[in-house]
Amino acid sequence: MSESGTPETVTRVREALSPYLGDEVATVDAGRDLAEAFGERYDSLTAMECVTAVEAAFGIEVDFVAHDVRHWFASVERIARFVDGELEDRVRLGSHG
Amino acid sequence: MTAPTAPTAPGARVPVSGAPDLWCTYAAVRTLAWLGRAARTPHRAATVAHVRGRRNADGGYAWSRGMPSDAWATFYCVATLADLGEPQDEPERTAAWVRGVWSGEAYAMTPGQRPDVWATHFATRTAVELCGDDVPDRARLLAWLGRLQTRGGGLSWSPEHADAGDADARACFYGVAAWRALNALRPAAPPWDVPALVRWLRGRQTSSGGFTFAPDATVPCLWATYRATGALAALGAAPDADPAPWVLGQRLDGGAFTRWPGYRVADVWASFSAVGTLRTAGGVTPEVAAAVERRLARLALPTGGFTYREAEEAADALHTSAAALVAEPDAPELPELRRWLEGCRLPNEDGVMYMPGRGAEVRCTLWALAAGAFRDDPAGAGAISAWLTRLQNPDGGFGYWHGRGSDLISTAAAVEIRRLVGRPGDPALDLDGLAAFVEGCDRARHGERGHGNVPGAPATLRSGLHAARVLDFIGRADRAAVADALDRHRVRGGGWANQGARLPDLLSTYEAVATADRLGIAVDAAHVRPFLDRTASEHGASWSPLAPATGDPLADCLHRLLRRRLATPAARLPALTLS
Repeated sequence: MSESGTPETVTRVREALSPYLGDEVATVDAGRDLAEAFGERYDSLTAMECVTAVEAAFGIEVDFVAHDVRHWFASVERIARFVDGELEDRVRLGSHG
Repeated sequence: MTAPTAPTAPGARVPVSGAPDLWCTYAAVRTLAWLGRAARTPHRAATVAHVRGRRNADGGYAWSRGMPSDAWATFYCVATLADLGEPQDEPERTAAWVRGVWSGEAYAMTPGQRPDVWATHFATRTAVELCGDDVPDRARLLAWLGRLQTRGGGLSWSPEHADAGDADARACFYGVAAWRALNALRPAAPPWDVPALVRWLRGRQTSSGGFTFAPDATVPCLWATYRATGALAALGAAPDADPAPWVLGQRLDGGAFTRWPGYRVADVWASFSAVGTLRTAGGVTPEVAAAVERRLARLALPTGGFTYREAEEAADALHTSAAALVAEPDAPELPELRRWLEGCRLPNEDGVMYMPGRGAEVRCTLWALAAGAFRDDPAGAGAISAWLTRLQNPDGGFGYWHGRGSDLISTAAAVEIRRLVGRPGDPALDLDGLAAFVEGCDRARHGERGHGNVPGAPATLRSGLHAARVLDFIGRADRAAVADALDRHRVRGGGWANQGARLPDLLSTYEAVATADRLGIAVDAAHVRPFLDRTASEHGASWSPLAPATGDPLADCLHRLLRRRLATPAARLPALTLS
C-alpha cells in the first residue's frame, strides 16, 4: 500500500466526495482531518454517504466491523490509501484465485 | 401528594452531561424575547449555530443532531431563530416538512403517527406563524380542534381522549393557541363552547391563586398557571382571582422563580412560566425582568444553548440511570443515585422526568426503574404503575408522555415498566389495545417485513424488537418472526443494523441481544464481540463504527452491559429503549 494513495486515486476520491461535501473538498489539504475541515457537516450520516460513494466509484466493499472506518475515512489521503490497498488486495487475490 | 423537593444525592457525584437542551434553549430565548432582551442573549452566535445544527436535510429539525425531525423540535428551533432575529434556512422546505405530518384533519409529531394536540399546536404555529404557510384543510382542523372538548368543558389531547374525559390545562393551551394562529390568519370562531371552556380553566385555580393542570392535581405550579392563564387570555377571559401575587410569591433569594412551593430551584421553565403569566396579569416589573435575565445568563452555555439550571448541577435521569446501571452492586454512590432518580418527579405526575420539573416520561421512568430506583419503595413503585395505566392511549399504545401519540419505543418501555413494578390488583392495561397498536405498526400491508415505530413509518429492526417485547408481554410472542428479523439485520462482521444489514450500531445490537434473551433465542457471543471491539476506544464507546467516541455515558453504559452479558451468559440485559 502506498504511503499517501496515488495522485489519480486522490483525485477520484475528491470527485466521489464532492456531492456530499461540496466544492471545497476539491481543494482541502489531502491530509487534513475531514471532521476538522467540515465540522458538523462531516457527521456519521455524511460519512456513511461518503463511504457508499467511494464503494461505488471504485467497485470495492467496506466492512464496517473488520475495517477501521473511522480511521480510514478521516482524510482524503487515508481514503485514497485505503482504496489503493483494497484494489491491490483484489488484484493479489485475483491473481492467486 | 406532598410536593417534591429538588432531587438530591448528598455525598454522591451525580453525573451531568454539560450539554445544552433544546426545550431549555427555547424557553430561555422566548423569555428574553418577551422581556425585549433577546438581542442580549448570552453566547448568541453559538446559540444560533446550536439551533441551526438541529436542521435535517428534509427541512425539519430534530432534538439532537442525527435524530429524525419532529414537529416539536421544528417549532422550537424555528421560533428560537425568529426570536433571535435570525432568518430561517429555506422556510419553504420547513413548511413542506410540516405538511408531511398532516394526518388529514390535524398534525402528528412525526410522519405516519396519529395526531395529538401537542403536535397540532407546534405544527400549526410553525406553518402559519413562522413559515407564512396555511394549513392543508382549515375547516377540518377547526373541526378536529372542536372535538377536543370534553363534557366537562376542558380540552383533551385528542378527540378520542376527550371521549374519555381526560382534560388538562396544557391541552387547553395548545388547542386554543392553534385556533389563535388560524384566527390571526383569517377570522374563525373558536370551535368550542367557550363559556364551558373558560369555566373549566378558571376551575383549575386553587385558593392560593396558582393553578393545577387537572382536577385531580392538588399542588399548584407555575407551568399550569401559565398554560391556564395563557389559554384564558387568548379567549379574551381572565382568572377569577389575580394570579400575580401567587406568581410573585414563587421567587427565591436571587429574585428568579421556582416552579412550585418547596422546590427551591430557579429553573429555566419557572422563569418562562412566570414571565408568560405576568405578561397577561399586570405586567413584568423592571426589577423582575432584571432578576430573570440574571438567572437565565447563569443557565447559558458557552458552547451555545441553555440548560435547566447551573450546568454543573444539571443532572438528568438518563445519565444518572446509566451511572447506576454500570455501578457495582456495593458501590457506595449507588443508593444516592437511586434516591436522586426517585426525587426526579413532578408534584402531580408519578413517573420519572428526564430533567427535574419537566414532565414525566415513559422511557426515563424505565431507565430509572432498571437502575434500581423505587426498589425499596413499594408505595412509589405502585404509584408509577398507576400513573402508567392512565397513560395508555385510546389506540392501545403509549406515547413519550401524557397525551403524546403512540409509538413502539414508548409502548415497549411501558410494558417493561409494568413488568418491573406491576403488582396484583393494579389497574389493568388494555392488552387487546396493545395488540391492536402493534398490529397497526406491522408493515405487511405495505409489502414490507417487520414493524415501523408508528403506523406510517418504515420497518426497522428496533421497531420489530419493540413489537416483539410487547407481544411477549401479552403472551403472543412470535419467536420465529423475531429470529427472522435478527437474521435479516445481522451484519456479517458483527452486530446488528437498524436498517438493512450494513452498518451495525450499538443500540440495535443491545436490543437484539436483550430481545433474543427474553424470547430464548440463542445469541452467538462470537458475533457480538468484534462489534464491541470495533466500537471501543480509549475515549469510550461509540454508537457505531462510524460515529466518533465522545465518551457519551449512555453509549458507555450499553457497551459495558453488553460486555457483562457476554462474560456472564446467565446475566440478562434490562430491556431499555432509547430511540
